[in-house]
Amino acid sequence: MILRTHLLNNALIADIQLKEANLANAEQFKSELMSLINKGNKYVIVNFEQVIYVDSSFLGALVSALKLAMNNGGDIAVVGLNNDIRSLFQLVRLDKVFRIYTNTQEALTGA
Amino acid sequence: MPYSEKLTPELTNMPKRPKILLVDDSPLILMVIGQALEKEGFISRKAGNVEEAMKALENEIPDLILSDYQMPGTDGFAFRQHLMTVPEYKNIPFMFLTSVTDHAHMIAGISLDAIDYIDKDTPIVVIISKINNFLNSIRERHEHTIRELSSAAIALNLYSVPQEIPRINGFEIDFWHKSFENYPGGDFIDVLTINNRYTFIILGDVMGKKWGAWFFSFGYLSYIRAAVRICVSEGDVSTKSIMQKINSVIYHDPVVSDVLSTLSLVRIDPENETLSYTGAGDLPLLYFSSRENKLNRINSSGLLLGISKEGGFDEHLFTMQPGDQLIMITDGLIDKETPAGKKTDLNSFIDEIEKYLGKTNSFATLKYDGFLNEKAREQIDDCSLIFIQKNS
Repeated sequence: MILRTHLLNNALIADIQLKEANLANAEQFKSELMSLINKGNKYVIVNFEQVIYVDSSFLGALVSALKLAMNNGGDIAVVGLNNDIRSLFQLVRLDKVFRIYTNTQEALTGA
Repeated sequence: MPYSEKLTPELTNMPKRPKILLVDDSPLILMVIGQALEKEGFISRKAGNVEEAMKALENEIPDLILSDYQMPGTDGFAFRQHLMTVPEYKNIPFMFLTSVTDHAHMIAGISLDAIDYIDKDTPIVVIISKINNFLNSIRERHEHTIRELSSAAIALNLYSVPQEIPRINGFEIDFWHKSFENYPGGDFIDVLTINNRYTFIILGDVMGKKWGAWFFSFGYLSYIRAAVRICVSEGDVSTKSIMQKINSVIYHDPVVSDVLSTLSLVRIDPENETLSYTGAGDLPLLYFSSRENKLNRINSSGLLLGISKEGGFDEHLFTMQPGDQLIMITDGLIDKETPAGKKTDLNSFIDEIEKYLGKTNSFATLKYDGFLNEKAREQIDDCSLIFIQKNS
């Protein structure tokens, strides 16, 4: 399992348990996240705290899951980005696509 | 350049160290076999039990797993059976290395689609030869398949990079593209001249890697070419309008809307010497101004193709002065290995490339003095760069 999850208030927190989030694990990540959304979790907070590096395949997987969530009337927020990953989100304008928060607590109050 | 030319020369001399995941509860076995493998040029990863092995697999897919049978907790058979149920893991070649060597166990092990069942008393050199033989045969088959696929693609006239670049008055345009480990990837490049006037330069990167991304890059390229031609024929040459049209088609098409792509679209109009640029989730254009002797960025605001209905695109209009240079890149070029791990770093790429710019032979130097190949070697993705220069 890549994602370790727990419920908090009205949201599902999904911790990514990877250092390098890349092509090797993008597909599995996508199917885990999508099955969480299909189980009816409307608001998912994906926590990147443990992640050092993300590649574009992994970002693609995250965006695909977001599209599914939005079609189901839900949303995905992203928390715990290190500086490099945060600049990558900005570089490819994913900061305009995802709601990005510093930590889970902030994401919950923003929800 | 046809794929065949690009593929063959490098297949043979590509140094890639195979990764072996060793699973054994004996630290001594892990150490001895691990050292022997490293000495033979392998990278060894070690796991003291099945749980640790599963953790290791989450981070990295090895080229082969060499596992003990008898281990406390989950044994090697249960481990193998579990791997066979996970799509990402079931095709990793699996060998047993164990001292339990009665026939019943050997047959049970081999029947789990293991490629070998080796007695722990076997001399280490023999074990390593078995591994080498197996990986070599896999590699040969793999290279053969890639060659077959590539020649099929060539026969069908499927290219995701142009065969030649049209000449444009007053400008020099060239590109460089490097595939990752000789797989065609998700990058696509095209240059179209329409109505003998406008030239459109297309650079995109389908998110994903290898064949899947390569396949979709054709789908995207077809849409983009069609959108460019339709817009121009309707008298609308704005890169923003074209991008909106492309985005809208992709957003509504369930076949490609699940696959995301960046796109940089530049239009050159040599008649009034203007350029226009619209980007979708792409990296900024790098603009070298000869007057300022400085490398600037041109950032676009558009989102990745197909994410949202509107896309939030903008359009930058500018004029290039003689000696000015414009560079378009995909993200394959800007990842960097650092002591703290891998990171994506556009700033240091800009710092490094800047010294090559502003010269009459900038592109040739980038291409031939090794800078670009050096960058590509560090990468785990295909890399592309398009170079545009205004001649004096």
